[in-house]
Amino acid sequence: MNADLRTSKIPTVMVLARAWRFFLFAGLLAVVLTGCATSPPADDPDAVAEFKQTNDPLEPTNRVFYAVNNGLDTVILRPAAQAYRFVVPGRVRTGIHNVLSNLNTPTQLSNDIMQGKPRRAGDTTMRFLINSTVGLVGIFDVATDWGYPNHDTDFGLTLANWGVPDGPFLFLPVLGPSNPRDAVGFGVDIAQDPFTWVGNANTQQIFNWTRFGLNALDSRERYLDPVEQIKKTALDPYATFRSLYRQHRQGDIKALHDDNRATIPVWFPQAQSEANPVQKR
Amino acid sequence: MFERRMFLLAGLSAMPLLAAAPALADTNGDRAAAFIKTTSDLILGAMRGAGSAEERRRILGPIIDKSLDVDGLAKFCLGRFWRTATPDQQQRYTAVFHQVLIGNITSKLGEYQDVRLTIGRSKQQDDVDLVSSSVERPNNPPTTVDWVVADAAGNPKVIDVVAEGTSLRLTQRQDYASYLTHNNNDVDKLIDAMRQQLTQ
Repeated sequence: MNADLRTSKIPTVMVLARAWRFFLFAGLLAVVLTGCATSPPADDPDAVAEFKQTNDPLEPTNRVFYAVNNGLDTVILRPAAQAYRFVVPGRVRTGIHNVLSNLNTPTQLSNDIMQGKPRRAGDTTMRFLINSTVGLVGIFDVATDWGYPNHDTDFGLTLANWGVPDGPFLFLPVLGPSNPRDAVGFGVDIAQDPFTWVGNANTQQIFNWTRFGLNALDSRERYLDPVEQIKKTALDPYATFRSLYRQHRQGDIKALHDDNRATIPVWFPQAQSEANPVQKR
Repeated sequence: MFERRMFLLAGLSAMPLLAAAPALADTNGDRAAAFIKTTSDLILGAMRGAGSAEERRRILGPIIDKSLDVDGLAKFCLGRFWRTATPDQQQRYTAVFHQVLIGNITSKLGEYQDVRLTIGRSKQQDDVDLVSSSVERPNNPPTTVDWVVADAAGNPKVIDVVAEGTSLRLTQRQDYASYLTHNNNDVDKLIDAMRQQLTQ
């Protein structure tokens, strides 16, 4: 039995777990080598307040990973995304994006339920049913036109909704900006995704790596212009990405928290208050 | 029977009043929304007409000066370093900030040729008005952009733009703060770096 055959029998989860063990080790090594951010002197209260607000005690290490990711992005992901944009027509790219998004609906539904958001769970269920059938395995997003809009969610947001704080900023290898809460959420989302577990080891591995690769291409292609713009206009791109990531997550958490649409069906007489309008996104 | 008809009539006659009520209650918000509408129409119109980046810059400059609180933004973005900066530094910084801002907006708008902006509802929060809008571009999902409008001496001015929950001025402030922390809190170095950006 050769080595290739042996590794192909290992489920994707195990490969990811191994990769993560490696990155964890690399991360610890980087912390030891680069140290932590030094707190400003206590006689400068403004600087101390800013240091606390930035909440990035591992900044030197994070910056190392930012540089590594940036290098990998420049030589691999960015050119690949540019080629993807150049070769694949816009409509086909949208179709691929829709299929990927449809594959994510089981995880999304599970999170909607755990967040205690019945209307979001309803949207997700209807999206899955409509787009998987009428939308031809998810290629066409018919559900949005029919009044079931998409929303971003993940286990990091579920934890946030349960009141778990985000913790210090982390810049993770390959995954990019994060924090302990969202990193845990990323792992849980892989574990609770049914596609991680169904099928025999071989097809599962091919399917999941293809999906992972396409997801990376798809999201990088979507961010080609904004990332370019940020790198061009920011004096400290690392700090800018850190700020944007935090604000974006805060925005998602707030949208999730404020989404308290009534569960009464539209045809049933209902009292609509200003605080609880029927939301359309 | 008669009573019921009277009731209906009374109800019908009250309807126009009800319809007018929200408009009366939120005149400030409406004014802010109208201001964003005029300004965005002006900017998008100018972008369609202009050819080169230089031309866009020339046309957009006056519009930005009129509709954006540039000095206020400059001060906000320097954050705690504004107080420690000398008046001379403040002045040089504000001048270069002005140019950087116009440059950034022009190059940013250059990507948005076929953009459509739909103004949504507006609401008052503390002493500012928030005007929400939806920006649509071909092949892209619509993005939510909120405009924060403040009253500066009787004239409405944009003091912040919040795209998908990310505030433009806060991001800029944190960028400058980080740069300054890594450069001995030296405002002159920041000004040099910003000048450098202009020449690129």
